[in-house]
Amino acid sequence: MSTLKTTLTGYTGYRGREGHYAFLLHRITGLGTVLFLVIHIIDIALVYLSPKGFLDVVALYQTTLFGIGEIALVFCVFFHGINGLRIAYFDMFKPANWSIETERNSTRITLIATLILWLPATFFMARNILIHNYGLFGG
Amino acid sequence: MEIRLRVFRFQPEKDQRPRYDVFTIETDPTERILDLLEYVRGDVDGSLAFRRSCAHGVCGSDAMRINGRNLLACKVLVKDLGTSEITVEPLLGLRVIKDLIVDMGPFLEHYKSVMPYFINDDIPADGKEFLQSPEQRARFDDTTKCIMCAACTTSCPSFWSNTEYVGPAAIVNAHRFIFDSRDTGAAKRLEVLNEQFGVWRCRTAFNCTEACPREIKITQAIAEVKQVLTSGKLE
Ligand code: HEM
Ligand code: HEM
Ligand code: FES
Repeated sequence: MSTLKTTLTGYTGYRGREGHYAFLLHRITGLGTVLFLVIHIIDIALVYLSPKGFLDVVALYQTTLFGIGEIALVFCVFFHGINGLRIAYFDMFKPANWSIETERNSTRITLIATLILWLPATFFMARNILIHNYGLFGG
Repeated sequence: MEIRLRVFRFQPEKDQRPRYDVFTIETDPTERILDLLEYVRGDVDGSLAFRRSCAHGVCGSDAMRINGRNLLACKVLVKDLGTSEITVEPLLGLRVIKDLIVDMGPFLEHYKSVMPYFINDDIPADGKEFLQSPEQRARFDDTTKCIMCAACTTSCPSFWSNTEYVGPAAIVNAHRFIFDSRDTGAAKRLEVLNEQFGVWRCRTAFNCTEACPREIKITQAIAEVKQVLTSGKLE
């Protein structure tokens, strides 16, 4: 088996527990944020390179598709940040926290904390899309 | 109860690609997966290849993926799996030699690379033995339990992506000597583990600790080695 195939077989087929999924989500959200950052550097650079183009990009960001993308981005940033702090804290200050009990619980808490921060943000962002793009709620 | 055992079959010299053979077996819920494999090899298909030796979770020969998870076939009962559909596959990340047998070569090379033996050329103070307190002995007790089954290393996403990664098992065995108060080889081992494919490839995915049949706190041991590397001091 090629390395790539082994990796993907493991990612998708290995029945790991909380840590396995936290690892996958950390990687996906990290790469997702990097992808956004690349696009973002280009869009902000347009202010200087092509002010007209910048306005087009802003209009693009206001579309429903990008709105949904931004909601996903907020999830990525929250999960990646909180999980990153968890990992760094355990690894640097509390190796003894890497017990099966603590690791599983801390992963669940990370997910819950992410949702607590993300859901209200999602509410406001989704409401904005509905107001501005669909004229709902008196928009 | 009746179970359906799906077994990964592959003979690289003959087969284009792997296949799965299905065996329907009447068995007790208290049978071990190893018993099922023994039955298949003994009574149904003598060409099935797998490793086993002690059959009691001591030798580490029969680690394999059972329903997607690394386990010792001799330590898992049918009822532990909670299903009558059982799939058995070889460890991931090592070359398949035949069926469930993988090439342990790269795994053992990583083990050797951390110098997994006692290093101390000094003469003991009493001329006979190096003394150690119970506390000093307890410091590395957990990592003495490794049976080299490779369940941890082959459950690690970093190892799947690059088998040059030294892997959890080698780090566990390095930990066993690094934290041994009688040993003087820590610096040499830490040098190996500080390299590009050393401990820093660990992404704390925790599959290793979940997979260890000896319940070694592997991720903790790795984090302790990371701490020594960042702080520059033992303990
Ligand atoms: C959808 C949410 C976001 C919006 C609306 C947004 C908007 C902006 C704006 C308007 C600027 C220009 C600031 C200025 O130069 O005056 C900017 C700069 C920047 N943003 Fe974002 N941003 C967002 C998300 C992010 C995220 C998630 C990251 C990090 C991954 C990020 C990283 C940056 C960086 C590095 C700069 C350049 C620094 C600077 O010019 O001050 N942004 N952003
Ligand atoms: C809130 C601030 C952040 C924290 C606390 C954080 C923390 C971390 C930590 C601890 C890791 C290592 C994970 C491990 O070794 O297991 C990591 C990996 C990573 N981070 Fe972040 N990070 C942050 C922000 C970002 C941002 C803004 C980006 C993207 C621009 C990003 C992209 C990545 C990527 C791509 C990885 C590699 C993932 C992998 O190897 O699986 N991170 N982060
Ligand atoms: S056969 Fe020895 S560990 Fe299972």
